[in-house]
Amino acid sequence: MLAVCPNSNEVHIFRVPPGSVSGSELERIHVLKNHDQLVSGIDWAPSSNCIVTCSHDRNAYVWNFDGKEWQPVLVILRLQRAATSVKWSSKENKFAVGSGAKSVCVCYYEQENNWWVSKLIRKKHSSTVQSVAWHPNNALLATASTDFKCRIFNAFVKGVDAKTDAVGDTKFGDVLMQIDSASGWVHDVDWSPSGEKLAFTAHDSSLHVIDIGAGTPVQTVSMKELPLRAVLFLSETRLVAAGYDNVPFLFGLNDSGSWCLLKNLDEPKASSAEKSGSTFSSAFEKFKGQGAPTDSLEPLKPPATIHENCITTLQALGPAGYSSTTRFSSSGLDGKVVTWELKGVLEGVSGLKL
Amino acid sequence: MANTLRPYLTCIRNTLNATLCLQNFPCQEVERHNKPEVEFKTSPELLLQPVLICRNEGEKCLIEGSINSLRISIKVKQADELENILAKKFLRFVAQRAESFQVLRRKPVEGYDISFLITNTHTEEMQKHKLVDFIVRFMEDIDKEISELKLSVNTRGRLVATEYLRQFL
Repeated sequence: MLAVCPNSNEVHIFRVPPGSVSGSELERIHVLKNHDQLVSGIDWAPSSNCIVTCSHDRNAYVWNFDGKEWQPVLVILRLQRAATSVKWSSKENKFAVGSGAKSVCVCYYEQENNWWVSKLIRKKHSSTVQSVAWHPNNALLATASTDFKCRIFNAFVKGVDAKTDAVGDTKFGDVLMQIDSASGWVHDVDWSPSGEKLAFTAHDSSLHVIDIGAGTPVQTVSMKELPLRAVLFLSETRLVAAGYDNVPFLFGLNDSGSWCLLKNLDEPKASSAEKSGSTFSSAFEKFKGQGAPTDSLEPLKPPATIHENCITTLQALGPAGYSSTTRFSSSGLDGKVVTWELKGVLEGVSGLKL
Repeated sequence: MANTLRPYLTCIRNTLNATLCLQNFPCQEVERHNKPEVEFKTSPELLLQPVLICRNEGEKCLIEGSINSLRISIKVKQADELENILAKKFLRFVAQRAESFQVLRRKPVEGYDISFLITNTHTEEMQKHKLVDFIVRFMEDIDKEISELKLSVNTRGRLVATEYLRQFL
C-alpha cells in the first residue's frame, strides 16, 4: 500500500490489487481529505499503522484505520505558520513537525484527554524548518533549516519516554549540535540506520556527512550537478540522494574513509552509440549550415530520465529498523513514484531493475 | 553581431537552468500565505545572489532567484530613437497580454524593458527545459522583431515621402 499527495489538499492511498502479477498497476482505495491547503508531509508508522499528515494550513492529523475508513484525529500544534514536514519517531509514540514558524513541534499522545498534544522547540531556528529526522534512539531529533544550518536537538519528553532513553543532563529542546558547513538552504536530513552518522543536503549542490560516533569533522561532497532535495541512508556505508537533476545518485564510503559519488542510478544507456552518430551529424550540419549561418540556439533536449521533474522524496522499502536495504522508492513533482532495486549495492557495483 | 549573441544567450540559459530549482514554500511572515519571495523580499535568507549578464551597455539581463520564485528582467537593445519607441510600444503590447503568457510580469522591473516571474507552480506544471527555451527564444525573437519593425517603418516612410514629393515635380 502506498499513500501519496497529488500536490493538493488530499492524500490518496493506493494498493497493489490482489491479482496483480507485475505489481506496477495500482488501484486507489481511500482518499483522505481534511486539510484546506497543500499537504506538505505524510508519514506512515509501520507497526502502529497510523498515518500522520501535515499541511500548509497549520494543522496536522493522525489517521487511524478502523477496518473500513481512516479516521482523523486533529493534533493541537499551536503553530502560527505552515507545517512543512512530519516524521514518526522510531518507537512511534511521538512525531515531530517542522514548520514555517521557525519552530519544531514534538507531539505525543495524552491518554487522559484522548488528544495529541505538542511541545514546541522555539527560538532556535532563524528560518523555516524544511525537514526533520529522528534518531533511532527515539530521543534525538535532527532538523534541516533554510538558515543554512542543520541542528540536533534533545527531544526527550518526560513521562512519555522511558527514563533509559534520556540524553545526558540536557533538557527538552536543547541544541546538542549545530552544523553550519553548508552555504545554502538545507533541504533534507537523514540518520544512518545505527544512528552513528548524519547526512544532509543543501542548496549549494553539496552533501554533508558527519560521523558522530567516531567524532570526525563534517565531510562535504560538492557536486557540479543541480542541488539535491532528498537524502536516504541505505546502509552504514551507502546512501542515495536525489533532487533537481531528476535522478538519484548513489554515494558511498570508500576505503580511505571518505564519502564520494559512486554512480548515477538513472544513466542513459545508449549514450555511446548516440555519441558516435552525433559527431558525424554535427560535422554534416556544419557543411549544410555554411550557406546560411543560423545564430539561434538549438532547443534543449527533454531530459532522458525516468522522472521528468524534480525528485522530492526518497523512501526506503524494507523491514522497519533495517540495517541495510537495497530497495527504495522515489517520488517527484511529475506525479511518478518509482521503485528502485540495487543489486550488490554493498559491494559497490550496482544494477538496477525497475 | 551573431558571434556575441550566442554566448550571451548560452550564458543566460545556463544561469536559468541552475536557478530554476524552485520548491513550494509557505510564507514565513503571514500565516496561510504563499507568495513569491523574490517580489516581497521579506526574508533575506531566502533570496539568492542576483546575477547580471550584460552583452553591452544597452543589452543586459538580470536574474534574481529565491526559494520559490525567479525573476528575470531584460533590457532590449535600443540603438536609436526609433528603436526605442518601437521597443517600448511592442513590449507594452506584450505586457498588457501577460495573462496569456503566464510567466510574464505585467510591469517590468525598474531600469528594464520586460520582466518574467516564474514561480514554483510554473515549474511544477510545465517542463523546465521548455520554460528556459521559451525565455531564450523570446529574447532571440524580440531583437529580430524590432529590426523588422524598424525596416518596415523606414520603407513606409520612404514610400510616403516619395509619394508626397512627387506632386512637386
